[in-house]
Amino acid sequence: MASAAASLSTICTSLATHCSISHHNPKTPFLHSTSFPFSRTHSLSLSFQPTLSPRLPLPPKSSDTAEALSDPQSATQLVQSPPLQPPSWEPGLFAVVMVGGRQYIVHPGRWITIQRLKGAKANDKIALHRVLLVGTDTSCYIGRPVVTNAVVYATVEEQGLDDKVIVFKYKKKKKYRRTIGHRQPNTRIRINSIMGYQNYPKVTMDDIKDEEDKDS
Amino acid sequence: MNKDKIFKLAKGFRGRAKNCIRIARERVEKALQYSYRDRRNKKRDMRSLWIQRINAGTRQHGVNYGNFMHGLMKENIQLNRKVLSELSMHEPYSFKALVDISKNAFPGNKNVVIPPRKVAV
Repeated sequence: MASAAASLSTICTSLATHCSISHHNPKTPFLHSTSFPFSRTHSLSLSFQPTLSPRLPLPPKSSDTAEALSDPQSATQLVQSPPLQPPSWEPGLFAVVMVGGRQYIVHPGRWITIQRLKGAKANDKIALHRVLLVGTDTSCYIGRPVVTNAVVYATVEEQGLDDKVIVFKYKKKKKYRRTIGHRQPNTRIRINSIMGYQNYPKVTMDDIKDEEDKDS
Repeated sequence: MNKDKIFKLAKGFRGRAKNCIRIARERVEKALQYSYRDRRNKKRDMRSLWIQRINAGTRQHGVNYGNFMHGLMKENIQLNRKVLSELSMHEPYSFKALVDISKNAFPGNKNVVIPPRKVAV
């Protein structure tokens, strides 16, 4: 038990440097993260499809929503859903954040599953400090290794378990077989916003074009 | 495990292995052994795939994978290969910025000439 408690404290201290947990009373959920209507995704052609990590169907980027709102044919699909509020962050904003020893590409308004955070309950606010890269449609802030003062704010949605994996160990001709079921604990968090990166040196599209002209 | 669990795990197997318990039991045990081994292999395979993708992305900009990673290590950029491969696919301008940083960090990157792939005629 003592060793388990010691390992727990080291994990908590290592987590404490990278993210902080604040316990709040349950509040009403954020409107801007849930206001993206479900039916829009089929009418627009999206260029970005996440390949490795499962996520909700993508809410449309604000540039696509601007085009669709001007198109009168797709306006009829908006009848049943509430009027779309433009997101309060820059278009195409994303960040690469390191949590639980793994790196994730994170977009505001979507959820990800990460390793279980001990001591976090549902509807807790989380601040993730280890932000390695922040990007928008026009510029990119590359951290060496971390973008200073950048924070990703998130809310814990659920502390659950992964799907069950059967661990089966077997040695032939030696009458040895073991069957163990395993469910890895995880935490699902909803990303609220990415902040604090504005004062960091950035690379914009003009810089990249200058580099291209210099090389060629 | 009892028979129902075996048959549940034997769904989609070929021939009698999904219907007859004696054969299904052997095949399911083999399948579970393979899944144990492949959970470890998957990590290796994914890393190899990410490296191939990063290689393809950087060669479009005139740098190969080895020199690119060397430049990133020099600049103390700690993005891992999974994220780099996703950036190379979906965020081309951010990836170009990273390639430029690597070129400036490691001067040997600038004069690298990637020979064009030979296509069979």
